Amino acid sequence: MQNTLRDAAIVELRSRVLEACIMQSRLPDGMPLDVLVNDTLYHEKKRLEIDRKSPTRDADLAFWSSVKAKLGRGSGEDVRNLLGQIIGRFADEIRGNFSPTLYNVATRVMPKALPMLLNAMSPRRLLQRGIPDIADTIVIQGQVDALRKMSQKGTIILTPTHVSNLDSPVIGWAIYAMGLPAFTYGAGLNLFSNPMMALFMRNLGAYRVDRMKTAPLYKDVLKEYATVSLEMGNHNLFFPAGTRVRSGKIEQRLKLGLMSSGLKAYVNNLLHKKEQPNIYIVPCTLNYYLVLEAETLIEDHLQREGKSRYIITDDESYLMRKILQFTQNLINLEARITVHVGDPIDPFGNRVDPETGASLDRHGREVDIVKYVTDRKGVPVHLPQRDRVYTAEAGEAVAREFLRHNVVVATQLTAFTLWEILKRRHPEQDLYRLVRTGDEGFGVAASLLTEKVLAVWQALAARAERGELHLESGVVAGGDAAAIVRTALRHFGTYHTHPVMVRKGDRVFCEDMKLLHYYSNRLRGYGLEKELDQVLRSEVAA
Amino acid sequence: MSSDKVVTVLGGGSWGTALAHVMAVSGAKVLLWMRSDDRVAEVNEQHTNSRYLKDKKIHPDVVATADLERAAKFAETIIVAIPSANFRSVAYELGDFVTGDQVLVSATKGFEAEHLTRMSDLLREETCCRKIGAISGPNLADEVMENMPTATVVASPYHEVIEKTAALLAGPTMRVYGNHDLVGVEVHGALKNIVAIAAGAAAGMNLGQNSMAMLLTRGLAEISRFAEALGADRMTALGLAGLGDLIATCNSPLSRNNSLGRKLAEGKTLTQAQAESIKVAEGVNTTFAAAKHASRLGVDMPITRGIHKVLFENAKPHEVLAGLMSRANRYEHTEVQIDAPSLVEGSVVETALAVAARERGW
Repeated sequence: MQNTLRDAAIVELRSRVLEACIMQSRLPDGMPLDVLVNDTLYHEKKRLEIDRKSPTRDADLAFWSSVKAKLGRGSGEDVRNLLGQIIGRFADEIRGNFSPTLYNVATRVMPKALPMLLNAMSPRRLLQRGIPDIADTIVIQGQVDALRKMSQKGTIILTPTHVSNLDSPVIGWAIYAMGLPAFTYGAGLNLFSNPMMALFMRNLGAYRVDRMKTAPLYKDVLKEYATVSLEMGNHNLFFPAGTRVRSGKIEQRLKLGLMSSGLKAYVNNLLHKKEQPNIYIVPCTLNYYLVLEAETLIEDHLQREGKSRYIITDDESYLMRKILQFTQNLINLEARITVHVGDPIDPFGNRVDPETGASLDRHGREVDIVKYVTDRKGVPVHLPQRDRVYTAEAGEAVAREFLRHNVVVATQLTAFTLWEILKRRHPEQDLYRLVRTGDEGFGVAASLLTEKVLAVWQALAARAERGELHLESGVVAGGDAAAIVRTALRHFGTYHTHPVMVRKGDRVFCEDMKLLHYYSNRLRGYGLEKELDQVLRSEVAA
Repeated sequence: MSSDKVVTVLGGGSWGTALAHVMAVSGAKVLLWMRSDDRVAEVNEQHTNSRYLKDKKIHPDVVATADLERAAKFAETIIVAIPSANFRSVAYELGDFVTGDQVLVSATKGFEAEHLTRMSDLLREETCCRKIGAISGPNLADEVMENMPTATVVASPYHEVIEKTAALLAGPTMRVYGNHDLVGVEVHGALKNIVAIAAGAAAGMNLGQNSMAMLLTRGLAEISRFAEALGADRMTALGLAGLGDLIATCNSPLSRNNSLGRKLAEGKTLTQAQAESIKVAEGVNTTFAAAKHASRLGVDMPITRGIHKVLFENAKPHEVLAGLMSRANRYEHTEVQIDAPSLVEGSVVETALAVAARERGW
C-alpha cells in the first residue's frame, strides 16, 4: 500500500463518515450532531476512567476536555467541524504505520528470525543443525494457486480460523511465502502491547483496533476504514471469529463485520465502475499440534460457558518464556503448523471459479452477481437490511468451508478418542464434573486406545474421501493408529503445565481433562460422536 | 421485464390457480405456468381449471403458459406452488432461467423428507436466487376462489421480498402480514397438515368438539416444539401461519388432508383413500418426514407418531386414539409426567424431604 493512497483513503473516509452523520441528523428520528458528539464524548470519558494504562491517555484526556469545552458554545458549523476532528482523530489512530520497505525487510528476516528466536536458547543445537527454516515449520497447502489467481482478478478478504495470538505472525508469513502482497488487517491493540508480537505485527500492514473504545462512531469509522481500504484494492485479512476461539472448536458463529465491508466495497466499486470490482472471500484454516494459549483459553471457556471475556491480557502469549518453550517444541518435535487455504467465495456465499473469477451456483451455472445488488433500473444500490442477510449467508458459507478445510492432526484425533471413551465411562457426570474429577487415575489400555483411534480414523478417512475435511499429510494420512497415538503422546508430553496424556506401562492416562476436552473439541461438528457411539462405548477390545 | 404488478405463478393446481386469481383480482398481470397444454388452453379460453377447481371462474388477467422459460422471464416475482414431491425438479429447471435480482416465493407447504428440507431451501439450493420467501396462512383454495376475505403471511429474511410480495397479494379480499421467521412459517405450514389428517379422522369418528379442541391444542404444542427445535420463533405458532392455518385446515372438509383423515376413519387404507382424490395431500409426506426427524431432534410428537402408524403401519384410528388417551398424564408446558416429577428440589434438604414424602404416599 502506498502512503499517498493511504492519505487519499483517510480523506475519503473522513468525508464519507461526516456526510453520513450529517445526513442522518436531518431525518425525523436522526441523532442531532451535537448529541452525537456528546455521545462519543461520553463513551470516551467512560473508557478513559477504566483504561488507565493507555499510552495516549494524557493526550486523549486533553482532546476530549477541549471537545467538551467547545461543544456547549459552538454554532452548527462549529459542531460539524468538531465532529470532523473527532472522526479524523479516530481515523488516524486506526491507521497503522505500514511502510513497504519495512515490510520487505521484515518478511526477509522473519523466516530466519522466528526459528532463531525459538532456538536462541540452545547454541549447541544451532551448531548441530544450522538455522532451521520457518518453511519447514509452517506448511501451506490447499487452494494456494486459486488464491494467487483471485488476487489478480479482484480484492481478497482472507478469513482464517483463530485459536492463538500466533495466528497473526503465522498467517502474515504465509501470505509472504505465497508471494502475495502485504494484506491489511485490523489487529487488537493488545497485540501491539506484546513486544514479541508487535515486532511482527507493525510491519505486516496492520491497522489498530482498540476494543476498549465503545463509541458507536468509532465502530463506524473502523468499518468504513476497512471498506475504503478494500475499495482501494488492498487485500484484507480478517479473523471472523472476532476473538480467539476459547473452546477449541471450529468457529461456527462468526462476526461478520469485515465481510459486510466487503459487500459494501463491492457495491461502491460497481457504482464507481471499477475495472475489477469483485471482492473474494477466501477462508483458510490454521492447524496446530499444540496451541500456545490452550490452558488459558479452555479455562476461560469453561468458566464463562462459552461467553468470551473480550480481552485476555495475561495469557501464555504474553510470557516470553512460554513462547520460547512453545516454539522450541515446534522445532524439536518437528511439529508443523498447517495453513490450509480454502476455496474462494463471493460476498454472497457463492463459490467462485478460480480460472474465470465468475460466481457459480450449486450446479456450476454461472451467476451474474451484479443482479443481487441492482434495483429495478439495473443501478447498484446499498440496502442495509438486504445486505445484512447476504452477509449472514456468506458467513454461513465461510463456516461451512472452515469445517471442510479443517486439517486433522494426531493430537486432536487422539484427544477426541480418549475424551469420548472417558465420557462414556462416566455417563452420570456432566461436562463440568467430568472435567473436575477427571478419570480418577484409571486410564485406558494403550491397545484399546489405539484400536478406538483406528475406528475414529476410519470415520474421518471416509469423510476426507467425501471432501468433508482433510487429514494431515504424514502420520494421520498414513492411518497407522499406533503411530498416531505415539505422535500425540510425544507432543502432549511437552509444553503444557501438565501433560494432556501420558503413557505409563501399558496404560494411557489423562492428566489434564480440560486440555483433553479442548483438543477433542476440534473434531466436533462432524457427527462423529453419534456415528461411533457404540464403538466408543465398548471398552472391550474387539 | 416490466415490474409494475406483474407476477408469475408456477403450478396450476388448486392453490397456484387460486393465488394467480387473487393477484389478478388485485390488479396484477399474472402468468400461470403449468405443464399440461390442454389445461393451459382451458385457462386461456374458458378461464376455468376444472380438474382442480370445477367450474369456478378465473380472472381473465390470468394467462397460462407451458413455457417455463417464458414464465421465468415474465416477472420479477415468481410464486412457486408445486407439490413438494416435484418441487426440486421444477426449481432446478427454473434455475436455468432466473437471475439474482428476482424474488422467489414458495407457496407450497411441505418438506423434502430425506433431510427435512424446506421448500425455500430447495429454491435456494437449485437456483442462484437469494431473495426468497414463503407464503402461508389460513388460505383454503376454494374459499379464495370465491373471493371470501382472508389473510396470509409473507415470510422472508428480506424486507424487500415481503414488501414486493405483499404489494402483489394484498387486495379487497386478502390481507397480508409480514414475518421474518421464514423457518417458523414454513414449518408450521407443513406440520399442520399432520394435525389436519388427525382432525379429519376425529371428525370421521364423530368424536365431538371437545376432542377436536384437544387435538388442535396438543397438536399445535407438538408442532411448535418441533419448529422451535429447527430454529423457529415461538410466537409464530400463535400467528396466522400457525394457529390460523391449523384452525382453517382442521375445521374444513374442503382441506385435502382433512378429507384424507375422514376416509381413514371410514376404515380405508392410505392407498384406497389416495386413489379417490386427484389432489395431493401433503400431510402424508410431511408425517413421514416429521416422524423420521422428531427423534433426531429430541422432540416428542405423540400425535404425529399416531398418524404415522395409521398411514404406514396399518394401525386403525381408534387403536391409535386409545393409545393417545392412555398416555401418562403430563404437565402442560414441560411435558414432565405428573406422577413422576423431577426428584431434585431446591436444596439437598428439600430434595430429601420431598423423596421421603413421596415414599409415604403424600
